[in-house]
Amino acid sequence: MNKMIFWIKNPLPMLPVLLLTAITVLTSPMALSAVQSFNITAKTLPNGQLAYSLGSDAEAVIPGPALFVKQGDTINVTLTNSTSVDVGFSVPGLNASAVKAQPGQTQSYSFQAAKAGTYVYHGNGKEMLGLFGALIVDPASGPVDKFVDDNGAIVPVAQADIDKQFVLFMVGSTFWGTEISSDGATQKPLWANPNPGAVENDIVRFHILSIGPGHTFHLHAHRWLKTGTNSTIDVKLLKDGTDTHTFTVKAGSGVGAGDWQYHCHLVSHMEAGMHGSFKVAPAGGSGASVVGASPYGRILLGPKDEPGLVTFEVSDEPASWFRSARGDAIVGLPYDIKTKSLEVMSPGSSVNFVMSDTNGVHTISSLLWPSGAAHMPFNQTTAYRGGGIVKLDTPGLYVFTCKVHPFMFAAIIVDDPNTEGLDLGNPAADYKIDLVTGITGLPTSTDLAVRLLKTFFIATAPSNWQDYSTGRWSVKFPTLPVRISGAPFGNITSGGLAAPLSAVLNSDQPIAFGSKPAVPGVGEVWVNTQFEKTAGKYKPGTISVVDTANWTVKRKIALPEINMNNPHNMWTNRDQSIVYQTQWFDNKLTLIDHANGKLIKNIQVGFSPSHVMTLPSTDDVTIANNGEDSIMIMPAGTSFVFKALPTQAPGQSTAHPHGHWISADGSKIVTPNISTGDVGIYGSSGGIEARTPTGNNVPGAHPVAIGMMPDSSKIYATNLLHHTLSVLDGAGNLLKTVNLIADYNPIDGTFADKDGNGIIAVGVLPIQTPVAPDGKSMVIASMGGQIVVVDTKTDTIAAMLECDPGCHGANFGAKKGGGYYAYVTSKFSNRLIVVDTDPNGDGNLSDATIAGHVPLVTGGTTAVDDTVSSLPGFGGQGVLAIPNVYNGWVQNLPEAWKVGLTDLQKNPMGR
Amino acid sequence: MMFQSNQLWHVKEFPESFAAMPNGALLKKSLAAICLVSAMSFLPAAESSAANHIIRLTAEETRNDGFGNKLMAYKMLSHIVDGADITGRYSPDATIPGPTIVLTEGDVVHITLENAIPGAYTSSARTPSKQVSVHVHGVHYDILSDGTLKVINNHDDEGAGDGLEASHATYEYKWNVAPGTAGTWAYHDHNFETHNGAETKGLFGAIIVNPAGSAGYDKEYVLYLGDDAFWGMEIDGTSQKQSQHGVNPTLTATQNSNVRFHLIALGTDIHNFSLSNDYKWFDPGTLNLIDTIAIGPLEKHVFTVKAVSSTRYVDNNYSNKLMGMTGKFIVK
Repeated sequence: MNKMIFWIKNPLPMLPVLLLTAITVLTSPMALSAVQSFNITAKTLPNGQLAYSLGSDAEAVIPGPALFVKQGDTINVTLTNSTSVDVGFSVPGLNASAVKAQPGQTQSYSFQAAKAGTYVYHGNGKEMLGLFGALIVDPASGPVDKFVDDNGAIVPVAQADIDKQFVLFMVGSTFWGTEISSDGATQKPLWANPNPGAVENDIVRFHILSIGPGHTFHLHAHRWLKTGTNSTIDVKLLKDGTDTHTFTVKAGSGVGAGDWQYHCHLVSHMEAGMHGSFKVAPAGGSGASVVGASPYGRILLGPKDEPGLVTFEVSDEPASWFRSARGDAIVGLPYDIKTKSLEVMSPGSSVNFVMSDTNGVHTISSLLWPSGAAHMPFNQTTAYRGGGIVKLDTPGLYVFTCKVHPFMFAAIIVDDPNTEGLDLGNPAADYKIDLVTGITGLPTSTDLAVRLLKTFFIATAPSNWQDYSTGRWSVKFPTLPVRISGAPFGNITSGGLAAPLSAVLNSDQPIAFGSKPAVPGVGEVWVNTQFEKTAGKYKPGTISVVDTANWTVKRKIALPEINMNNPHNMWTNRDQSIVYQTQWFDNKLTLIDHANGKLIKNIQVGFSPSHVMTLPSTDDVTIANNGEDSIMIMPAGTSFVFKALPTQAPGQSTAHPHGHWISADGSKIVTPNISTGDVGIYGSSGGIEARTPTGNNVPGAHPVAIGMMPDSSKIYATNLLHHTLSVLDGAGNLLKTVNLIADYNPIDGTFADKDGNGIIAVGVLPIQTPVAPDGKSMVIASMGGQIVVVDTKTDTIAAMLECDPGCHGANFGAKKGGGYYAYVTSKFSNRLIVVDTDPNGDGNLSDATIAGHVPLVTGGTTAVDDTVSSLPGFGGQGVLAIPNVYNGWVQNLPEAWKVGLTDLQKNPMGR
Repeated sequence: MMFQSNQLWHVKEFPESFAAMPNGALLKKSLAAICLVSAMSFLPAAESSAANHIIRLTAEETRNDGFGNKLMAYKMLSHIVDGADITGRYSPDATIPGPTIVLTEGDVVHITLENAIPGAYTSSARTPSKQVSVHVHGVHYDILSDGTLKVINNHDDEGAGDGLEASHATYEYKWNVAPGTAGTWAYHDHNFETHNGAETKGLFGAIIVNPAGSAGYDKEYVLYLGDDAFWGMEIDGTSQKQSQHGVNPTLTATQNSNVRFHLIALGTDIHNFSLSNDYKWFDPGTLNLIDTIAIGPLEKHVFTVKAVSSTRYVDNNYSNKLMGMTGKFIVK
């Protein structure tokens, strides 16, 4: 009442509040309700995360300060925004205000606590970075909750009965905790994945909240009541979006003291590290909580001497797929760090990933780590929405990737403060590293280790990409002093001593697009310039349509109306009128009108759809759900998914198929299963016919793309991380494994014809591997920057051609007058490479050559549906020649599309 | 208190609240069924006094998919209740889901786990854990019966086989099925390969804790909702025999019988279960009639219907529905 009188004395600025209050007084029995005012400030934390503080001077905390009010109260919030992004204060269920405070500005919010319950408040934008908190509205009088006693009795709980309470926010794959006194007045941040503590028989109230993708909360050995009922539960679903669940337990009731684990019960989130312990001490114990990893702790430039936390946002943004929450600040440090995907912290701190800026599903998976490091390898067997969190105790370099999108990289250097320079390997093991492919004890001075580092710094820094339109490729590596293994190698003059990384890696050279092929192709080449950004949409990616008559980009398709997101791979229907386009960081398949590049329909499919092909027999569309466990089927002429063919038997590990291929008769769908490391052969109407492992009992093969002979007699699979090519017969029996890096010495980086095939050739990180329509040759686009030409008669390497960084996609199209061109794309450059595997058509592939290059940047005659804003022509991945001239498909072309094809091209098998 | 009894109590209090039950045409039959169930609940039950259960369980490899990929499963070796051997009600094979263990509030359970998975005792590096365990939900047990690894519980690797730190040939868990624990709960592995265990590889089952003196059902169905299929089984109310184990099983009931569904989700997906909208039931602990339920991993959802017409049970999760995650419920 006193507060109300106070407001009446100051009526003018509080008029709306006064009116609301008056309405409350007139219409509800809660005339005694109070006005609760909170001054809240949004701040940026030392690790780049964002958080709220109560008042302007207090430390900003995650979760934000818990706000306790009574039902019927009026809540006034004054929000001051001290961050560099717009911040709001939205309370779903009570006040869904979309109003935000701009940086440096203040906004006011006023609303009624109309209904008792626990509510999420959040920042309405970057909320998953830490702008979230709990608003708890308790009944105006009477018990606030009830609990199940050890004898089964259901006991009401008054405010005064509570010994302590905890807020646990489930965000991404991380818990964020606060310990709170019974009256709410004293609050202590417990940070990430804490161990809340209590003494046996304490009455403890838990407020579980979530924001973002959903979770189930489970606390071991305790049970409590489903809200509003006397029904007993011990797991509770928190749905997608925002959700809350408040319950009370008597600590250790009926079970005694112990470290009782609490966790999210989604297996993907369990694998992601989403757990802690409720430490119930015996009577007489302290019951103290153990604080988790803090954004203020021991990380680069962290202010406090406590376990620290670095956080990466998982993003659809090119290069910054794992973007440090303080990526801009990292790039701004005076060490020429051009990547936002690098972090530095001390042993015992944790790295946290949150999928806050992506529409796809991912895994957080170790690629390499310091030899012998604890908690490694870290992995999620199933891609999902969420994130990952892991404590890193052993000094050295850790690189994480997403198994679904294996060019997403995050690097964390855990640095022992007692060594000079940043440790790239384990100091206790001569600075060596282990790789997920089973290589252990690799010295960080080796050529292979340096190449891996180079791959990281190119992939994650667009300024290091090969932009042909600038005429120069200057790759600058950080001047950070680093410490690597033993013996001196190359430019590293003093082994084991700290030297700037830039001494090892910098390069600077003139570059040019190169000349166009002299002989035209037939029709068009559609290229997924997956990283190209345009002004009219937030998500990246365009289709660049190349006219092979004059080798110019005739059209760019960005589809701003659907915010097309990372277009990855395409196929066409029989009459070539519709182009099917997957959005690999989303869950959409897009149908595009071939004639004008306009959107026909955007339909839901599984998460992270990678490749799409038609069945030549029926023209039905098959979509590989790279983030899931099936191939989806969309019947010809429709725009809905009809069924999904499982890629594994029930209950078996999720296969995550990527770049599938289909037999020329349409009877078989063949998938490279990245997660289970095998080639799967499936009947096109269902049924698993074969599952053939490709790793030869070595982990981490990562089969990523399939090629098939035009008569379906052989199946080829590239194994990205083993740098091998698996050759299988049509039934799936493994015939041969071709080592694509046999000629490479990983220690000193020298090349020699070690496999004795007469040429020096390698294919590092091989990806797409199509067989020519006539079956005579195959090309392998290799991410390390090579195109390997394989003779399919002998399944040996016939030639190696130079490709660009991030070389990725390949497919064949008809060459005018006969023969074929292989069109090859690269992620980190902006030109298309046109390969002629047999220029003189004599069947001998040793004269395979690059026929020419085509710039993928917009030209004067390019038709556009949006304006290119950055990364012009970059991200070359899926590529498709139209007309589609593969055996089995070419025969189905309408006559109009066969004009310009030779008889042999119309019937590549010669019949 | 248990939701089933709450529900019946509410039936007596608020008979008018059933106007929506299930589809309009079936209203009268349904009301009759509810009255029947109400009546049954006041009959004296067979197992009204606290019983002592001695259970031996094994974990085995099973279900080779034809390409060398296997799952794991629990098998009931023996179940003695107060000296009486009831092992015959279980499958003689390892099954997915594992044996459904039916208990009554007040019971005490000693459950011993053996590890019959090849290689479970041969790992010298102790990493990853080759140990299997039983972590149970719902009932009372002390920290040594948590079924977790020492890295979690700070006491012991609580399972059978090579743990990260401690190996045990067998491991015994003690459950106090105390008052207040009535309900259906999961048990599952928490140790194999990682501290998360191999619950999604087939090592899961259910316990059903009935309140003392509660009524039985003509059939009970346990349906686990996995990431790509249901794994289910049924229990005959008369013989207590367990059958129909496996993927998307066909469940059968006789016309007008009272049957109870026990849903538990497991894996990563969040599901949306229905009986093809042909049946409605009470959301446990409430008077709300529902025909679909969102259920997340390790949540349980138990409901009773009167079997009146054949239909399908189905998960309406987008991808799972397309993959054919559904099965038949046949009423004869």
